[in-house]
Amino acid sequence: MIANLRSISCLVLLSLVAAGCSSTVTMEDPTIPAPHVEKIPIDVALRIPKEFNNFMHEENILGKEAWSIDLGRSNALFFTQIFGYLFNNVIVIGPDDDARDFQFDALIEPSIDGFEFSVPTQSKTETFAVWIRYRLRIYDREGTNAANWTMSAYGKSQKEGMNGGAALQRAALLAMRDAAALMILQMEKATQISALANGGLATPRAESAVADVDAKPASRRDDMGVFVIGGIDDDAD
Amino acid sequence: MMLTKILAATKFALIAGMVSVGLTGCVTSRVEDARVNTTGLNEGESVVIMAKSYHQGNKTESDYVNCLEKALGRGSSGLRVIPNQKFIDSLFPWFEPRTAPAETKGLTKLMERPGVAEAVEEMGVRYIVWLDGDTERVAQGGSLSCAAGPGGGGCFGFAWWQNDADYEASIWDLDGFESAGTVTADVSGTSFLPALVVPIPLIARTQTAACKDLAQQLRAFIVQ
Repeated sequence: MIANLRSISCLVLLSLVAAGCSSTVTMEDPTIPAPHVEKIPIDVALRIPKEFNNFMHEENILGKEAWSIDLGRSNALFFTQIFGYLFNNVIVIGPDDDARDFQFDALIEPSIDGFEFSVPTQSKTETFAVWIRYRLRIYDREGTNAANWTMSAYGKSQKEGMNGGAALQRAALLAMRDAAALMILQMEKATQISALANGGLATPRAESAVADVDAKPASRRDDMGVFVIGGIDDDAD
Repeated sequence: MMLTKILAATKFALIAGMVSVGLTGCVTSRVEDARVNTTGLNEGESVVIMAKSYHQGNKTESDYVNCLEKALGRGSSGLRVIPNQKFIDSLFPWFEPRTAPAETKGLTKLMERPGVAEAVEEMGVRYIVWLDGDTERVAQGGSLSCAAGPGGGGCFGFAWWQNDADYEASIWDLDGFESAGTVTADVSGTSFLPALVVPIPLIARTQTAACKDLAQQLRAFIVQ
């Protein structure tokens, strides 16, 4: 009986120690402020992928700690909000919906190509940083791929208090706001989406051509700067 | 006998705590300004405090920005300060870390964007104060060890550390879209932690001093 109690106590103690070495942060629903920009006059269908309903990412720091962030539905809400601000009309469709059942000029399928974060023990600073690489695939109403745009967003926040959970959340939100700013300022330039308005169709292209469009922003500038940092790109309009 | 020892130790700890509350570490401060243009603040006009972008390598702490906002707005001669986040949200996406203007020459073009001038006018923002800099630990030394046993515990030793707070505030006047000048605060503080059974922390509040001093000078600079 005593031996049993001892082993149970040891297990409880071990689980407490293990819990102390891992942190899970749950992202709250993001709120993106209404931007001061003119809407792109086009009707858009936004297809939310399955992964946007339950996105989770974990970082293991060898021999130290494990951090995980549960983004839940925040990406779905984020894209719904930002496209609502950006386009004249937006309808949200699910991953299993047939796009032919809906009326739109362009269909946009966002996805996450990469998600990373760093914590203070890695960066040796008192900051949490989050990188998100989003991909937007744009199709015309016939289903032809019109553009394929990737963008890298970054957010950084300082650790406050003993637990860094709030700072990691804030860094993720800042990365989403960064992506929102990129989309607002660069969407038309990077994708020429307005050409699909009023029944305009994309020119069918080979896969390599689509990949080329995708690679252009990254090859021209570094990962951080799809447009000028520390000011407004004069060509943004 | 044991109870007497515990009571004596508690009494000593209380006295040490009270002494440490009254004492702080050493702080030296230097605040300077460089004026480029005349300033002034009319009724209804306000100020906003912004940290320069981390995309440009700036590391200004958000709690320092909050401290400066509070210090500038405090008292009978306090300025009207618009909360930093409210300003950024109201002008989204033009003051995000990636898009915020780095120089005054971009302001004229920014004000021509739809809704920007109206939002600035509605908040009555006359000056944007851009903060650059941070507080860093630049030196530390000494040694301190603590031990505990069945009869009690205690610490012995001496530790010290030095923090430097260097901040520069660039003031942009939105009435003319030009720089009004800069105010800098260079504060150095050394904290001590002697321990003879009970540690007595003598903390130098370097960042707080940098916040108070910069706020005082900024207020004088803007109001003249």
